[in-house]
Amino acid sequence: MKRRETMGGLERKRSRWGWIFVAPGLIFFSVFSFYPMINAIWTSFFNKRLLSLKQPVFIGLQNYIRVLGSEDFWNSARATAMFTIGVFVPLFVLSLLFAALITSMRRGKRMVQAALYSPAVLSSVVAALIWLLMLDPRGLANQFVNWLAMTPGIDHRWLSDATMVQVSTMIVYIWKYLGYFTILFVTGIGKIPDSVNEAATIDGAGPIRRFFSITLPLLRPTTVLVSVMIIIQCMKTFSTQYLFTQGGAPLGPINVITLNIYNTAMRDLNIGKASVMSTILFLFMLGLTWLQLRFSREDEAGL
Amino acid sequence: MNIASKSGIAAASLRGVTFMVVCGIVLVPLLFMAGASLMPAIDIMHMPYRWIPQTWKPANFLRALAGNDGAWMYLRNILNSIIVSTTIAVSTVLLSSMVGYGLAKFNFRGKNIVFMAIMATMMIPFETVMVPLYLIIVKAGMQNTYAGLIVPFLMNAFGVFIMRQYLITFPTEMLDAARIDGCSEPRIFSDIVFRNSGPAIATLAVLSFRQQWDNLLWPLLVSQKEEMKTIPAYIVKFAAEKYADEGAMMAVAVIASLPMFVLFFSLSKYFLGGSAVYQAGKE
Repeated sequence: MKRRETMGGLERKRSRWGWIFVAPGLIFFSVFSFYPMINAIWTSFFNKRLLSLKQPVFIGLQNYIRVLGSEDFWNSARATAMFTIGVFVPLFVLSLLFAALITSMRRGKRMVQAALYSPAVLSSVVAALIWLLMLDPRGLANQFVNWLAMTPGIDHRWLSDATMVQVSTMIVYIWKYLGYFTILFVTGIGKIPDSVNEAATIDGAGPIRRFFSITLPLLRPTTVLVSVMIIIQCMKTFSTQYLFTQGGAPLGPINVITLNIYNTAMRDLNIGKASVMSTILFLFMLGLTWLQLRFSREDEAGL
Repeated sequence: MNIASKSGIAAASLRGVTFMVVCGIVLVPLLFMAGASLMPAIDIMHMPYRWIPQTWKPANFLRALAGNDGAWMYLRNILNSIIVSTTIAVSTVLLSSMVGYGLAKFNFRGKNIVFMAIMATMMIPFETVMVPLYLIIVKAGMQNTYAGLIVPFLMNAFGVFIMRQYLITFPTEMLDAARIDGCSEPRIFSDIVFRNSGPAIATLAVLSFRQQWDNLLWPLLVSQKEEMKTIPAYIVKFAAEKYADEGAMMAVAVIASLPMFVLFFSLSKYFLGGSAVYQAGKE
């Protein structure tokens, strides 16, 4: 009995140390994550201006009605959706393809990976800046495409045409992240036991058949993870679009939601409206993360 | 058999050629950056483009550092980036390993709720909280200060997650032995746990450093003064200026990228093929 009591005391002492170690985290995340999050939702119901001394007025759902009824918001939703789809499909397919090819290589794996990965090391701003120069009317991009299509002297208006400027931002992004997601896939494929592939080879399955019948189904945890990561990152894209518009590209076609939030808050000083868009973005991401968690739990159950 | 191996060789060499082309295309913009940083602006926009500079112009780097107005602001902004990113890397490592240790090696009521709550913050996009965060900083009078640039990033949920996962496998017997020897809890943490978490700490430090080196949005909000800007904000300003010289622009880009290239490729064994990459590409 006595012994048990001292154990209890020790346990209590230990658990107190646990709290002490965790405390900085609790304080930090309360102040810099939870409070701002609640504040953003709260502000979305107020008619609040940035740094204004006037007392903000509660206006209920009016901000939401105004935002959801404005063309500007739907244009941003469209820009973000287009960007996400336009990046997702090629990025997913290409990185999976390269990962499959890399794993089947005998020599030079590391070199290829390093080469593909090197753009991911750059800052997003630097990546956008390089492409800004290459996409100039007199730049490399026009020369290369004209050489390929044998159409000398045509300007493809990479940075001025409404459609082309969207394509340009997608190119920058795909270029920058290709190596990064390829490596994620390579890691995922590496986790598939060799024995499964060997068995299939003995059964006479060719490389393409093996890829679709074995690699792809067994890779599902990685494909779910990569898909959600690409989508979440695309929805948060900011630097490329910001630099392009600063460099003279038209704002409308690439006015993605994050850029719109930034401009609404910092240029128009309308925090209420910016908070509405922030809240909508948050709800969207929450949904995506929930989907990912559900899928990954299913996978665990399946194993 | 002979035919099979021949077709195998053909397939392998086809793959090799494909890869060389792909890698070439991926590397072209990097070569362009390196080459153009040493060329006069007229040559960069020359048609057809000449890869080897006709006239060398290393003065681009001088112009990049001096700025278009000759105020040498880039040097100051590079220093800012180094200060901010280093401080954040150090504090992230320290605080995350503390919290991660608390979550991995202690039992207390509500531990799981604490862990879930911290993990939940990963779902909050920075864009959602940036305006309230900015208002906090304004209220605290930390605009245009290092504190304003650093404090909101002192630690992050991802760091806590990495450290917790790493420390869960840490041998508990070692901790108990130290306790029996009368070692205090803070000493156990600093002398035993922290000293023996090298790989996880290195990875986390590099990733946090890089994330801040790349951060554009927050410095745009917090630093209105030129001398408190960081590299990404300087790049945007430099590129948007009317009389910006293309060669100098690329020199600015090269200077901003070199430290990252050195850092990543000297540690490439962690980043090519490790799970560390998971966070590396985050914007």
